[in-house]
Amino acid sequence: MVTIAQRISAQQSYEQRPLWPRLAPYLLILPAGIYVLALIGFPLVLGIWYSLTDVTVARDGTFVGLKNFVTVTRDPTFILAVRNTLIIAVFATAAKITLSVALAFLMLQAFPGRKLMRALFVLPWTVPIALSTIAWKWMFHSQYSVVNWILLHAGVIDQNIQWLGTPVAAMFAVILVSTWRAVPFGAITVLAGLTAVPADVIDAARIDGANWWSRFISVIVPIIAPILFIAVLFDLIFTLTELTVVYLLTGGGPVDQTQVLANYALQVGVVGSQLGQGAAIAIYMLPLLLVLTVVALRNIARREGL
Amino acid sequence: MIAVHARPRVGSNRKPWLSRQRRGTLLRALAVGGYVVLTVFPFYWMVITIFKANTDLYNPANNPLWFNAAPTFANVQYLFEQTRFVQWMINSMVIGVAVVAITLALAVPAGYALARLRLRGAQHLGIIIFATYLIPPTLLFIPLTRVVHTLGLQNTIWSLVVVLPTISIPFTVWLLTGFFKNVPFEIEEAALVDGATRWQAVVHVVLPISRAGLAAAGMFAFAISLQAFLYPLVFTSSTAVKPVTLGVVTDLIRGDVFFWGSLMAGALFAGLPVALLFNYFLDDFVEGITGGAIK
Repeated sequence: MVTIAQRISAQQSYEQRPLWPRLAPYLLILPAGIYVLALIGFPLVLGIWYSLTDVTVARDGTFVGLKNFVTVTRDPTFILAVRNTLIIAVFATAAKITLSVALAFLMLQAFPGRKLMRALFVLPWTVPIALSTIAWKWMFHSQYSVVNWILLHAGVIDQNIQWLGTPVAAMFAVILVSTWRAVPFGAITVLAGLTAVPADVIDAARIDGANWWSRFISVIVPIIAPILFIAVLFDLIFTLTELTVVYLLTGGGPVDQTQVLANYALQVGVVGSQLGQGAAIAIYMLPLLLVLTVVALRNIARREGL
Repeated sequence: MIAVHARPRVGSNRKPWLSRQRRGTLLRALAVGGYVVLTVFPFYWMVITIFKANTDLYNPANNPLWFNAAPTFANVQYLFEQTRFVQWMINSMVIGVAVVAITLALAVPAGYALARLRLRGAQHLGIIIFATYLIPPTLLFIPLTRVVHTLGLQNTIWSLVVVLPTISIPFTVWLLTGFFKNVPFEIEEAALVDGATRWQAVVHVVLPISRAGLAAAGMFAFAISLQAFLYPLVFTSSTAVKPVTLGVVTDLIRGDVFFWGSLMAGALFAGLPVALLFNYFLDDFVEGITGGAIK
């Protein structure tokens, strides 16, 4: 208590120095604020405006109301994109949480070579996603798939799977690569949360005769839940809006069966030059993103004691 | 940063049946090892592909997991001599360094102000800046094409130098605010008592103490600029101005023909250095993103 009181009085005298004008803090934040406002805030507003106009690459648009939002839904590809975006988000998120928690628990206690293991299992997350996705595309090649070769020789399958050429297998491949990439980060985040569980808490549960599952549910889940919750929200936001895996692995194919909203917005808005319709497709994600963002931020704000 | 390594083994000195403990440890190591095989296999496959002769690679009868003919440097040679790989690496380095410079120049003052100075609504401002980190490029890339065009930067590496800090700044401000908050205030006060100006105190005392944080922030900005794919895809189209992540995955595919050996070489040579750098600052990064949740 004494030190806190001293600290407050010291800070007051310090802040009252005339050398340090009251405006200074704002001046220090201003450059970052302007940058963010100009290149995130302004484009966001411009994007919303675009979605309400018939702007193309060639001409400035005029206001057309919600016409773009109606037009894009008439294209069956849009419906597929919405469906696939949600399927990928749900399945990939479920897989990521399960594997992340499992991996975190396995890593929690010491065993020989653990540091090396950690360095290796974070590789999928630290290598740029575009580069690792192209490696997976080669592993799923229609003729020379090494995955097929291994499965065939292990007796799991008796003929080659067209991984990127059949709808269900292609969706599986997209979810697999997305999960493969994200699990290391999830595991490390959960691991960070688990270290907050005092060892004697886990020990106490064990001595009381609790089996590992009830120990997990009643002791550990409540402690790691907050951090897991934030990690899941972040991951959902990025999974919903991510297009690199789909763009490079399947291109949305076969015949739009793995098309997602982000990639479809790119095709319509940039490749097809229909900026207004492309923006409308992207803006369709905004309400869901807004909800996720607000929930995540409220959570963080509460933890920061606001 | 994370105290996992120092954590004692749960109940290791309490359980009388040590053999069961050992068996658990062994099973755990095996399970993690199995998972690591899954994470590392694509990289093994890349290495094998890079050094395989095409006649070996494109023969379904061959064992793909090992060399059936003498290894060759032909794919690597093709990458360096027949593509602009070196130029793409240089582009990525220039973009990365510039993004780090812009990010730190803007985020250090902002982070310091949010952490140290009595600022009305400082914490809310911090949250708002962080919130922009959650606005994904997917919502921004279409209008940003117009912004980039207006600035006259389309199809130059400078479009990426200008745009990519929008991803790195929000998170870096958040990260640095946390680091500056952890610098004991008394150290700064002592410098002021000794007659230093606030500026001198920051430059000679606070920043040197926070160098781990500055390094993590700079590293994060660098990694972000190398990880980016959508913005390079939309803003750069000529071979000569592409960053390496885009160049490798677009220019080594000619129509329907994939140069798999050279593709894997480009992907691995560009990807591994980023991975190693990122790995080095991993703990700082995780601590930043999980922030208050662990406290």
